[in-house]
Amino acid sequence: MAAPTEAQIAHQQLIEQLDIHSIHKNFRNPNWRPNQRRNKNLKAIVGDASRREASALATPQDISGDATPADDGLSTSGTTTPANSSSGSNPPNLAQASRSLSKLVLEKSLKPSNGAAVSAPTATYTNIESAPSLSHSKHYCDITGLPAPYMDPKTRLRYHNGEVFGLIRSIPQTTAEQFLEARGAHTILK
Amino acid sequence: MAPSAIDQSAAAAPPDTKTYPPAKIFPVKETRFEKYIEPETGGRSKALQQPDSAAIVIDNGSHAVRAGWSFEKKPRFSMPPIMSKYRDRKLGKTFSFAGSDCYADTTARGHIRNAFEAGTGIVSNWDAMEHVLDYVFLKLGMNDADGSIDAPVIMTEAVANLPYSRKSMTEILFECYGAPSLAYGIDSLFSYRHNKGTTGLVISSSYTSTHVIPVYNSKALLRQTTRLNWGGYHSAEYLLKLIRLKYPAFTGKLNSSQAEHMVKEYCYLSRDYDQELKGYLDWTGLEDRDIVIQYPYTEEVIVQKSEEELARIAERKKESGRRLQEQAAKMRLEKLMKKEQDLEYYKQLQGKLVDETKKETRRLLDSHDIKHEAELEKIIKELEKAIKKARTKDVGGDPEENEEQPDFSLLEIPDDQLDEAQIKQKRQQRLLKSNHEARARAKAEKEAEKARVAEEERLDNERRENDLEGWLDEKRQIHADTLAKMKERDRLKQDLGNRKSLASQIRMKSIANLASDQPGKKRRRGGDDDNFGANDDDWGVYRQIAVGENSDDEQEEEDLMSNLKTVEQELLKYDPNFDYEQTHEAQSDWSKSLLHAFARGPRPFDPASQAELSQIHLNVERIRVPEVVFRPSIAGVDQAGLIDIAGDILNQRLTGLANHEDFLRDIFLTGGNTLFQNFDERVREGLRSLLPADSPIKVRRADDALLDAWKGAAGWAGTSAWKAAKISREEYQEKGPDYIKEHDMGNSYA
Repeated sequence: MAAPTEAQIAHQQLIEQLDIHSIHKNFRNPNWRPNQRRNKNLKAIVGDASRREASALATPQDISGDATPADDGLSTSGTTTPANSSSGSNPPNLAQASRSLSKLVLEKSLKPSNGAAVSAPTATYTNIESAPSLSHSKHYCDITGLPAPYMDPKTRLRYHNGEVFGLIRSIPQTTAEQFLEARGAHTILK
Repeated sequence: MAPSAIDQSAAAAPPDTKTYPPAKIFPVKETRFEKYIEPETGGRSKALQQPDSAAIVIDNGSHAVRAGWSFEKKPRFSMPPIMSKYRDRKLGKTFSFAGSDCYADTTARGHIRNAFEAGTGIVSNWDAMEHVLDYVFLKLGMNDADGSIDAPVIMTEAVANLPYSRKSMTEILFECYGAPSLAYGIDSLFSYRHNKGTTGLVISSSYTSTHVIPVYNSKALLRQTTRLNWGGYHSAEYLLKLIRLKYPAFTGKLNSSQAEHMVKEYCYLSRDYDQELKGYLDWTGLEDRDIVIQYPYTEEVIVQKSEEELARIAERKKESGRRLQEQAAKMRLEKLMKKEQDLEYYKQLQGKLVDETKKETRRLLDSHDIKHEAELEKIIKELEKAIKKARTKDVGGDPEENEEQPDFSLLEIPDDQLDEAQIKQKRQQRLLKSNHEARARAKAEKEAEKARVAEEERLDNERRENDLEGWLDEKRQIHADTLAKMKERDRLKQDLGNRKSLASQIRMKSIANLASDQPGKKRRRGGDDDNFGANDDDWGVYRQIAVGENSDDEQEEEDLMSNLKTVEQELLKYDPNFDYEQTHEAQSDWSKSLLHAFARGPRPFDPASQAELSQIHLNVERIRVPEVVFRPSIAGVDQAGLIDIAGDILNQRLTGLANHEDFLRDIFLTGGNTLFQNFDERVREGLRSLLPADSPIKVRRADDALLDAWKGAAGWAGTSAWKAAKISREEYQEKGPDYIKEHDMGNSYA
């Protein structure tokens, strides 16, 4: 093999200098062993969170007054706290209490923290997303971006004038789909 | 229609090739490795002296992580939240890099991983995040510490960050780095704080999202906050998509980093989008609107020859041609001489034969492989003829012209009066005669045709002179017809590609007919033989099924073209109303083409030039891409635009508050995506149309839309609010990773 050139040597030195793998990091806890499956994508995180939320929402309804026997003695409805209702005259059934404990916890944790009437639910990543637009959207040419008074029924592309139409008719359907995709109007086969 | 050209005057001839001022061409840019950042230790010792107020501040952005000490004016460094780790097999060594160091090496570039989920402000790759944090702490000189970070940490996070993400980050900072305390805050609120805002509407458009957050008495109303999933990242991806569609055959390598730089440098928000868009590709001013980006390319090496060299080459060519000619002439001469010698010889032989006995003659002839005297005569005649021909050729005469009428004497004499040799000769003469006559006929026909054309032209001219208007009308009609025919042909050609078109269906039908074994009605009637091929048109069916009916070969196309050309020439000459502008050539010229203006700008395009092939023209995109924040539907995002969101918050959600007009008095813009020219203008104009007429709207920009978040967080460190908001290590250990304290700058517990 040929001897490395000067530039190659310089580059190698730079790489060695930039490398942070070989540097011992004193500030790190040497015993830190993270969970192997901690990398989750947004969809999975939101999915997990909403599932937890859904199950939590479903649970208190199960034990609301009309669905459960009256002598449950624990929670009645979502509005009153379980502490109030369980302080009634009937001594709580221990087996039932243990069964419902997790539900109670959930119910409590779902209750708004300050107790006062809240106009909107707490902000979460999903519910602060802006709603679809209600205003009429103007149409623009998919090829040039200029105002588009026409639409080609075959490819569903919007176009500005006859010349653009000529181009639209000369491109294959797959390319047309790509143009549509830029506008989010492409066909998705499931 | 395409906008008309500006300065092509109504000339009868194609305008002279114009010269164009040199185009403004910008080189393509992308993020690169810059330089090695030295770890710096001074900050830590300084921080240790003021444990109550000093903190490490990390603005953990999806585009750039900015980190530094709270007691300094600005962050120490800014780096992309990326890492790259790979194993060099040759060296048996693992390398890992973070930040822009990843761009230093090609292999490293190939292994880049982003800590954030693409297009969101949510961290999803915690290994990458740890690498980035390692890098941050290394460069801040924390390697002198032992076992843990010994300075409080302030970090920014996304608005309404997901609990899982916050929990993971908290775990890492306390468990892995052993931070003494940690506080989270929202970047745009820090920016607002830094710009001394108390009540107002914060519009933060950054790399991965756009948020509108109302702030009331320095407290963010998070429940009224709205997010639009559009930011610089999406703009760059959108632009990249548009460029790829615009130049499907582009050879250069396009990546999103380049697109990001294009968005940043050449895009701007239009003050009146629809109005500006309408005339964006007009020729007037396109020069200024069109931005040319040059990608690297390799020029094909064309060796430029000097005048002298060219002359020498021409001389050499001429020389060799002359030599060849000379050689040919010499050869011809030699042949001629040989033929003459032969002729001489044979003549001598003939002379000898005259007084020889029959036997001797026979012997002499046999020795020359000649059968009888007649053949000898023929040879001599042929030689004479050849010599004559060669001689005339050398002097340049036409052999056909001065050829006299051949001898057809034998044709008149009946066969029975001739001997065998004569009959043979007669047959030859007959052949010659028919040949001769055919030539004469052809010549006559040619003459007649010439005369007919001349006559037609004469009549045409006469008609033109007598009735110019009628003549012109006729020509115009022809012109229009030819154009229509060409159009029709193009349409049919296109139709053929469509399976459902009439042309295609007819074609399929005839294929099916030809392929079917069942005899048709016609065949049954006419017996087994269907007479196919008797009519020449029958064969057209093969052409029809091969390419479809009405499809035409090149020939017809050429004909139409040349017809059009002649008619146009005549019209140009005699019709005062017909100028060059109306010719087909001018109509299909690039300066009439909107698509040319779109893809190639206001200059002619030379497809042979490598430089021009690796150029990208940005024109409509310059306003089309930033506009998406205001109209997400352009890019297919099914969300309300920024103005709609802000208007909704101001008009619907905040009306309950007593002094809700205060929000209008301070509409605050921060984040890199608000840096577009006219952004503040657009927000002001947009809101004005949604709000009551006399609303006091004031829009202002952050001093530094990029760094103010970090600066605000740094300024927050040491305050009593910070002290109340931070979570200590002990609290973490007691209450777990989900525990947070709500405060003015941060998210609420969800």
